[in-house]
Parts: sequence; C-alpha cells; structure tokens
Amino acid sequence: MALVEDPYALLEKWLKAREFIVVGKGIERADAFDKAIGKARFVEDYFDKGVLFVKQVLSEEPHAILEGIDYSEALKIPKVVGVFTAQDIPGENQVGYALPDQPLLAEGKVRFHAEPIALVAAEDIDAAFEAVERVKVKYKPLPVILDPLEAMNRTDVLVHEENGSNIAFRTKVRKGNVEEGFAKSDVIVENEYRTHHQDHLYLETEGALAIPDFEGRITVITAAQYPHLAQSIVARVLGIPMSKVKIVIPYLGGGFGGKDDEGPLVAAKAALVAYKTGKPAFLMYTREESLRIHPKREATIIHYKSGATKDGKLMAIEVKIIHDTGAYTNRGPFILWRASVHASGPYYVPHAKVDGYCVYTNKFPQGSFRGFGNPSVQFAAEAQMDELAKKLGMDPVDFRLKNLLRPGQTTITNQLLDHSVGIAEAVEKLAKKMGWWEKRKAFTEYNKRSKRYKRGIGIGVAWHGISTSRGVPDWSNAYIKIDKDGSVTVYTGIMEMGQGSPNSSHRQIVAEVLGAPLDVIKIVFGTTDAPDTGATHASRGTSIGAIGVLVAAAKIRERLNKLAAELLNARPDDIVIANGKVYVRGNESKSMTWQELIKQAYARGVDVSATGYFFLPKGKFDDAKGQGYAYPAYSYVAVAVEVEVDTYTGRVRVLKAYPALAAGRIINPVQVEGQMEGAIAQGLGYVLMEQFVFDEKGRVLNADMTDYVVPTALDVPVVEKPVYVEDLFKYGPFGAKGVGEMALIPVPAAISNAVSHALGIRVTRLPLTPENVYFMIKKK
Amino acid sequence: MKISFTLNGRRVEVDVEPNEVLLDVLRLKLGVKSVRRGCERAECGACTVLLDGKPVYSCTILAPMVDGRTVETVDYLASNGELKPLVEAFVKVGAIQCGFCTPGFLLTAYSLLRRNPQPTVEEVKKAIEGNICRCTGYQKIIEAILLASKLYAEKRSERKEG
Repeated sequence: MALVEDPYALLEKWLKAREFIVVGKGIERADAFDKAIGKARFVEDYFDKGVLFVKQVLSEEPHAILEGIDYSEALKIPKVVGVFTAQDIPGENQVGYALPDQPLLAEGKVRFHAEPIALVAAEDIDAAFEAVERVKVKYKPLPVILDPLEAMNRTDVLVHEENGSNIAFRTKVRKGNVEEGFAKSDVIVENEYRTHHQDHLYLETEGALAIPDFEGRITVITAAQYPHLAQSIVARVLGIPMSKVKIVIPYLGGGFGGKDDEGPLVAAKAALVAYKTGKPAFLMYTREESLRIHPKREATIIHYKSGATKDGKLMAIEVKIIHDTGAYTNRGPFILWRASVHASGPYYVPHAKVDGYCVYTNKFPQGSFRGFGNPSVQFAAEAQMDELAKKLGMDPVDFRLKNLLRPGQTTITNQLLDHSVGIAEAVEKLAKKMGWWEKRKAFTEYNKRSKRYKRGIGIGVAWHGISTSRGVPDWSNAYIKIDKDGSVTVYTGIMEMGQGSPNSSHRQIVAEVLGAPLDVIKIVFGTTDAPDTGATHASRGTSIGAIGVLVAAAKIRERLNKLAAELLNARPDDIVIANGKVYVRGNESKSMTWQELIKQAYARGVDVSATGYFFLPKGKFDDAKGQGYAYPAYSYVAVAVEVEVDTYTGRVRVLKAYPALAAGRIINPVQVEGQMEGAIAQGLGYVLMEQFVFDEKGRVLNADMTDYVVPTALDVPVVEKPVYVEDLFKYGPFGAKGVGEMALIPVPAAISNAVSHALGIRVTRLPLTPENVYFMIKKK
Repeated sequence: MKISFTLNGRRVEVDVEPNEVLLDVLRLKLGVKSVRRGCERAECGACTVLLDGKPVYSCTILAPMVDGRTVETVDYLASNGELKPLVEAFVKVGAIQCGFCTPGFLLTAYSLLRRNPQPTVEEVKKAIEGNICRCTGYQKIIEAILLASKLYAEKRSERKEG
C-alpha cells in the first residue's frame, strides 16, 4: 500500500479528527520557565566585551538636501573604528518592501526628522556616543509637508521627486453600482473619520549583533520577524549571496509587526559595520531612537458614506481612505490594500466603491502593526453601522445580525465565502451571554439619572483576511527529524516574540499528529537554517506557519503507522500512538513505547525525517476592475465594552470587555486568551492614551516613555472569557485560522461606539484622551 | 571608582564611573543578563532589581549609590527557591508571553507578597503599576500573583506542620 504524502490529503485527514490528546488544551508553553527565571536570551544578551558598539547619526532636519557629511573629527577619537555612510554600502542602498523608495542610509536628501544618515562604530560605548556628536552634516532645508491632504494636492513640494506626486500608491475596489445602491437606500450616513499613529512600544527595542566568520559568511543575531527576509535584505545591502548570510532570531521582547519592518534594517546596519571592519558589531536602538525611527501604525483620514433600506439591509458603501505613509512607503501599499478590501466590515454589501491613497509626508514611515490597516477602517465602518442603526431606530446588534456575512455570500471584492464564516453565530452568542440588550437599556436609563458620570456600551465587529492580500504567493514549510532516542526536533522559520506559536501550538500539533510525548519535542525557530516559512506576522504563525509542521508530522506518522502495524501485526489504520505509547486500537496489550518504535524505524530503514511544504491555493485579483480573490479565509472577531465617562474631566474608563472569536480551531485556549487580553489592552491604549505630538517641523515631541503613555495594570478592564465559534478553515492546521491581531482590530470601534452611546455624540476622531473628550462635550 | 556590594549573596567589588547606572554595571560588567533594558528612564520596570529587599529601577540608580548595600536579581532568587511559587503561578496561568518584562514583575510581586501576603486585586494592581507589560494586558499577571499568594501560604503552613 502506497503511503499518503499528498499535503491536501493529510490536512483533510487530520481536519476530521474529533478526539484530541493535546490540541484544544491549555498546555504550558515550553519557554515560560526560562523566561520567568531570566534565562531566556534576547538580542542584547549576546553583546559582550570585544564587540564593536554602533551608533546612528540621525537627521536633524525633516526635509533637506544632504550637502555633505564631515566625520573627520569623529575619526580622531582613539577608540572610534570607523564611520559609514551610504557611500560605503557595497551592494544596494535600497530596502523598500513594497516600492523601491527607501535607502538604508540617507542618500542625496533626508525625508524625515531622525532619518538615519550614518553609522559610527567604536570599541567603547562612550566613544561611539561622542563620535556621533562630532559628525557634521550640512543640510539645505526644503519646505516641509506634514498634512496628507495638502500633500495630495501639491506638486511643488515633493517628498520623492522621482514619483512626480506625493501620492505613492492607489487602490480600488468596485462591486455593483453604488449610485443604484444609494438610490435604493432609505437612510444614508456620511462622515469623515480620523485616526492617529501608534507606536508598538515593545519593551525590547530594536537590536542586532553581526558576526563575520572566517569563510566570508556573516551571522546576524537580530530582532526581526522573518529570518529569510532579514537574510535577503542583508545580502542585498552587502552585495553577497543569501547563502552567505545566516540569521538567528532569539527570543524577542515583543514585535507586534514593528520588528517585521525594522528588524531587517537593524540587521543590515550591524552587518554593514561587521562586513566593513571584519569585527563583530552590535547596534541597539535607545528608546528615543526606537520611537523616532521605526515605522508606526497608520494615521488615516477616512471618508465614509453608507446606505441601508428601512428594513435594515445594507445597500451601498462609498469609502475614500487616505493613509499618511510618511517619508517612505515601507509596507504602506500592502496596508492600504488590506484596509481597502476590508472597508465594508464583515457585512454583505451589494454595492461598494472604495478608493485608497497612500500619501507621502515628511514624517516617520507608516508600517506594520497588529491589525495592519484594519483597526482604522473597522472603526469607521462600525461607527457608520451604529449611526445607520440609530437612524433606523434599530438596536446596533440587531442591525448587525441582519447584515453579517454568512457562508455562500460574497465580499465587496466579489469573493465567494464558501466555508469558515462563523461571525453571525459568534455575535449572537456574545450578545446573549453578556446580556447586551438589557445592558444597553439599563445604561440609557442610568444616563438619564446620572449627571456627572455617563455610561455606555458599544460593540465592534471585524474581520481579517488570513495570509497575504490578493493572489500574492504564500506558503508554509517545516522540517522535522526524529533522533534515535525518540526526541523530535522541528525546524521552522516562524519565530517567537511572545505570541507562542512555536512554543505552544507547534509542539501541540506535533504531539497530536506523531503521538510523541510533549517533553521530547523541541522547536528550533526563527532561523535561516530552517526552510523559508514566511514571516511571523498577519496572524499566520500558527494558521499558516503550522500547516507545514502538521504536514511534515503527518508524513512521518503515516510511515510509523505502517511500521507499527507490521510490528504489532495489525492494520495501519488501527494503530494508535498517543503520549508516547504505541498500541492497537481495542487491544492495548499489543503495544510498545515511542522510543522502541523509533529504534525499530532506524533498524528497518524507515525515514523519520520529513519536510512539510504547502503552497496556499489562491485566486486572482483584477486591479483594473477592483474585484477578485482577496484571502484564502478570514478570521472574525467581536469585542463589546462597557465604559464610564467623567463628563467633568473627559476621562474615559473601560470597565469591562467581552470578546468573541471565530478563528477556526482553538489549539491552545490559554494562549488564545492571552492574545485576546493583550490585544484589547493595546487597543485600549491606542484609543485612550497613546499619541505622538509633532512640532511644526514634524519633530516628535514625546519620544520617551514618560510622555508616550501606555496602559498600566490600573488602566485595563476585566476581559471576560471569549466566546468561541470554531468555524474550521480547510487548509488550517486542524482547521485553525489566525488569532494574534484579532482582538485589537474592533477595539477602536467598540470603545468609540460605547463613548458615543454614553454621551450621545458621534465620535469620529481618535484618540479619546480626556482633553479631546472634554472639548467634544463642551462643543455639544 | 571602586564600589563593593552584595550581589545575589556574594560580595563583589567593581570599578565604576561616578555617572554609571546600576543596570549597565550589572549587565555589562557583572554579566547579570536577567535585568532588562526597556526605557532607561524609570518608566517601564523591566530593569527592576531588589535593593536591600525593595524593588528599584536599576536604570536610574547610580552605581556608587549601591556601595555597601545588597542587590538581588531574579535568577538568584529563582535558584534559591524563594521565587518558586511565583514562577509556578506565572507559568501555570499563562502570564508570560514575550517574557521580557517577567523578571521585573516577579521581583515587584515578590516584594509585595512579603509585605502583604494576601493582597486584594486592587492592591496587586497598585503594586505592579510601575511595571509595563505590552503583551498580556495584565489580567493573567494579576491572576498569577493572587495564585502565588495562595501557594506561598501553603508553603508556610507545610513548614509549620513539618
């Protein structure tokens, strides 16, 4: 009998599993103990004596011609080894992800305040700091453009002259005929929404240690989210083949998307110094540098018009999305794509027209951050839903339930959703569990009596496509080997930044599929020694990353079942392997241990290593028509919150949060809860306290943790246990979809809808700081 | 200048600059890597150590200030069993994600539980207000500290009975 090796067949076989050994259980993470006792190693922990210390020279101007860089005085400091500028880059000084518009080190001109211009390397930290002070940069200042609306309409001041316009990129989605849709609508709502930048504020800043070796290779220990991307960027900058660059990503002190953008760049900077000097080189951003340099969550202006019939059916949306991409597009076009195709929210809309604009300004770049363009557009979409419901005299949840996407319906890009659409069920269950309707009424009554404090309850519902947008290729891969003693090693490019996919879900999936005991399974993660698994971003660590793990393990399991069947004189289908015990179903006396089975595999010529490659099947998106295939599946989420507003001070407190998730199989409920709770806190920070303050030259005035304020334990609400609807995704490992980003996405919508309910004023602008809320109340 | 202090139960002598902070001395001169660099201005708590038993931010303590005093870090208190209930609780409830802030939280929590063995939720929140966690949303950290308070109590009663 031929062994099954086809990944589709293997995924389908395990998707049908109904009883589980470890999947679905709150198994402890493999890394928790080492992290608790401070033994887990982060990038800075590899820095030691004898390593060159690197500092960056940053632009003091937001927009200027670079007329000269004089570093002769810096070189006079005894312990300074060298100063490196764009001129010293042996390969390409080009690190743009979406468009080729971004240099590693500024060349010709600078486009934002604090843009890196040069690198100083010294044998001693103090010498490096002093050398930076002594580098003289001559600037010829240019007019500064900070407002994206102004930037869109001007061609006399260009951030990138070669582009001929400050509009870097456009997107378009079309479905049906919006004029017809609005003509059929009984109520129409039209508003302009604004959202602001957010910093990831991972507790560990960006860092990299580059070590040249004697064979002309270079190893970089770096804080990135995709080892193979860092490898390709380092190779490009140095002008050497990728095979000469090895990337190791140790434990990361948080990532949230930010280190996916900045990680390869910090690696390339350290690598440049190591390559030029032949010595190990270490670069770590200070908190101030991190806040000033690395790309942020998108700041947006969203114009949104929507219409519905009097019986509560959404008819049409017309949306214009403007993203302030800052000095460089970075991943801006991808972020805009995601925002554009998600613009409707998770609702069925027959007529849609969405136009997106990615606009250059002289600010830090826009980049990847948990939610990736989606929190801002879902904020606008969900505000519209509440306003439509209000005009229709309907309850917000009832109105949503009439319109939420269901299997068999199409999205605004006209993609048919044939399976894995559990959001309507999730919202209904959540509303019942939390007593939505009763609470909404009770709060409205409370507000009639209470003068100073007003209470509100609001909901945000959102969706998020899994994998890359449109037909952009995406795949999973992993390599598994089993040693003679039965210990299992998994090699994956997925890395560990706290989300836990390698150290929880990957181990569980391997233990489930192979039947090996958990404690013999070791995951080697975040390295270019593993096959290219794609990035640990877009909630894909488990949902996509672990497909390869499952496929590789399932291949080996097929072989082991055949072997065990021979040894125990049974049929392969009757072999059970669980928790390290191998036996015949219904006859446990015929058994052997996992270790014995593996020993036999080595003795009898059975290969116990396998690669699990899986290329995600996708369709095509037609850019000209603005229609087509957007994502292989969507995860869905809803968060409802209760808030209290102090109308005397404008302070908003979130009292309680209720999440619901339709993300396929829940592999590890404890880890999923952790993601939900953390995402809600990060979203709360974004809505209520976090913001950047710029001066007239685009300089950030609050580049430190004293003035860029994030939530503490006193600011976060109680988060109730999530409601799960396990709407299995056919290609996901055991049917899992993405989780990591999900609960942040609807938080701006949920809190602002709750504040709108409390105050009877529509929130259209974030953040809801006490000052902003106070003046919102005053204006009323 | 030379300073000497008790670090993790041992007397150490080290040459420091007058403007050098304890965080750098620990990490760069004494090889203590469990103390993390987060904000370098006493806001995030990742660099927390115990100074004479009290949690302090080592990023803003000047090295000469610890001369003759006692400094303890998480690796030491974990190895001598003092932190065992806290470590167990953090691991069990899932209070650890990226783990960068965890040593700081453990020391702050340890100090709280010594002072106040049975804190309320509000007292726990107040105690850890000076430690930032960007991953967990704090809920599981609070849960872990409350669980640890029970585990310490069990340990104490075992000791009494034994």
